[in-house]
Amino acid sequence: MFALEVNHIVKTFNDKKKNIVIADDDVSLTVEEGKIYGLLGPNGAGKSTLISLISGILTPTSGTISVFGTDIVSQTVEAKKMMGIVPQEIVTELAFTVDEILHYMGGMYGVPLEERKDRIGEVLRDLDLEEKRYEKARSLSGGMKRRLMVAKAIMHKPRFLILDEPTSGVDVALRQKIWELVRRMNKEGTTILFTTHYLEEAEQLCEEITLIHHGRVIKQGRLSDIQKEFSENVVTFELFRPDVTHLPHVSKQGIEFHYPITTHLDQNMSEVIQHYGDNLRSVKSEAASLEQIFLKLTAN
Amino acid sequence: MNATTFMWALYAREVKRFQKLWFDTVATPIMSTVLYLLIFGVVAGSRSIPGTTYSAFVYAGLLGMMMVNSSFANPTFALILSKNVGTIIDIQLAPIAPWRVGIAYALAAFTRGVFTVVVAGIITIWFIPGIAIQHPLTFLAGLLLTGTEFGMLGVTCGLMMKNFESLTLVTTFILQPMIFLAGVFYPVSLLPAPWNTVSLFNPLHHNINLLRYGMIGYSDFSPFASFIIILLLSVGLFAFMNQIAAKSLKQ
Repeated sequence: MFALEVNHIVKTFNDKKKNIVIADDDVSLTVEEGKIYGLLGPNGAGKSTLISLISGILTPTSGTISVFGTDIVSQTVEAKKMMGIVPQEIVTELAFTVDEILHYMGGMYGVPLEERKDRIGEVLRDLDLEEKRYEKARSLSGGMKRRLMVAKAIMHKPRFLILDEPTSGVDVALRQKIWELVRRMNKEGTTILFTTHYLEEAEQLCEEITLIHHGRVIKQGRLSDIQKEFSENVVTFELFRPDVTHLPHVSKQGIEFHYPITTHLDQNMSEVIQHYGDNLRSVKSEAASLEQIFLKLTAN
Repeated sequence: MNATTFMWALYAREVKRFQKLWFDTVATPIMSTVLYLLIFGVVAGSRSIPGTTYSAFVYAGLLGMMMVNSSFANPTFALILSKNVGTIIDIQLAPIAPWRVGIAYALAAFTRGVFTVVVAGIITIWFIPGIAIQHPLTFLAGLLLTGTEFGMLGVTCGLMMKNFESLTLVTTFILQPMIFLAGVFYPVSLLPAPWNTVSLFNPLHHNINLLRYGMIGYSDFSPFASFIIILLLSVGLFAFMNQIAAKSLKQ
């Protein structure tokens, strides 16, 4: 079963001059249950609009969205019960303590009263916020507030967790902590969709991705397949003394040289090593990074 | 799990919110009531109203005014604040139907209204010797209807308004004039024509009239008719609030 099915979604807005602005244009994607899925793209690509559509706080202009088979427009409440959403912007209740916020949030998502106390303890332990349980949320640091946002979203143990730029503006240690939590929740069966513009983050976590640019899907599929597709089939090497006789078909790319892989990686690499010998400063053949893929796709 | 459970958590949160600000929510209206009672008790205390004393008449009106103000203020303040700090997203994302969100806020408003009126009543009742609730059921019905009606109006305004400046405008130019022209301080029947008839079209007059009848047994219009008018207004307001909530809780 698919945790999420987005079919041909279009979302348009009217700007201040009443012009129609297309935020998402014919976006389709499916997230299999139990996967970690990345929705990637630069700022303003339409990721957060898509998250708002999936979470039911925006209505699509056309197209359909369903969460575990439940339509988000016609069965909004039922679909929302299955989701936990961590919005991009950090917002904090001014009057309440961490415990109170989670207590009421749990209630609003149907966590029975008698289970809430223990569940709050569990969630706060997972996020290293136990010591702050009875403190006013507004007194927490930025990183703690970000963790509290995650805590609110997972209080009801959602089947499908959506994190909108969860590591935006957080330090390395907290970023690792959030990644660890995402992996753990996924292992426990939660399907996860997250948006990010840190492409290296997606490489760390995701099995499948969708790349969005200007509201349109520019690439989607398994990360490894995409990387394979975009990896240049070349052995890349650097030389101490570049002015030598080169192997046939070697091209110069900046300070690097590229030798096309025509037979097999190992064989072509040994040809390079044998030919250049101790003149070689470095030699490598690596998969394309998401950053390289993204730059290629958006070059025009 | 029953969908109402989700709504009750929101209701409980909003009740907790005003409890945390109990001094602001309770002490301020009590102070106003005491001041009004002192002023009207001294200046016009010797005046009489057919069937009751002027002090008792004003006192019942003031408690009604307090119910209206508290019920209206609770959701408007909470919703405008949550829009300004961004926590409205919690409500937008929660699996609670918009009409249930409205009802949760309106019931919390009613609770604050009752809490304020009861505490204020206990503290200030000694100003009016011998006063006792004449028709307890009517008084309770008046409190329930007034609290939820102005709670729903507060939810509607809170969802529609973007900032506290807009709220001040509505309070100053609409709500306060309606309160003061609703017969809180004088019997509408004593007004010259056509103002006595015009006042009957002020919806708030019926809330004050019903509460006053329940409390001291005095009314200047049929309490039953007032009850029906408030009930119909509440039904209309519920439909309107539901529409606004469904629209406003989307981005």
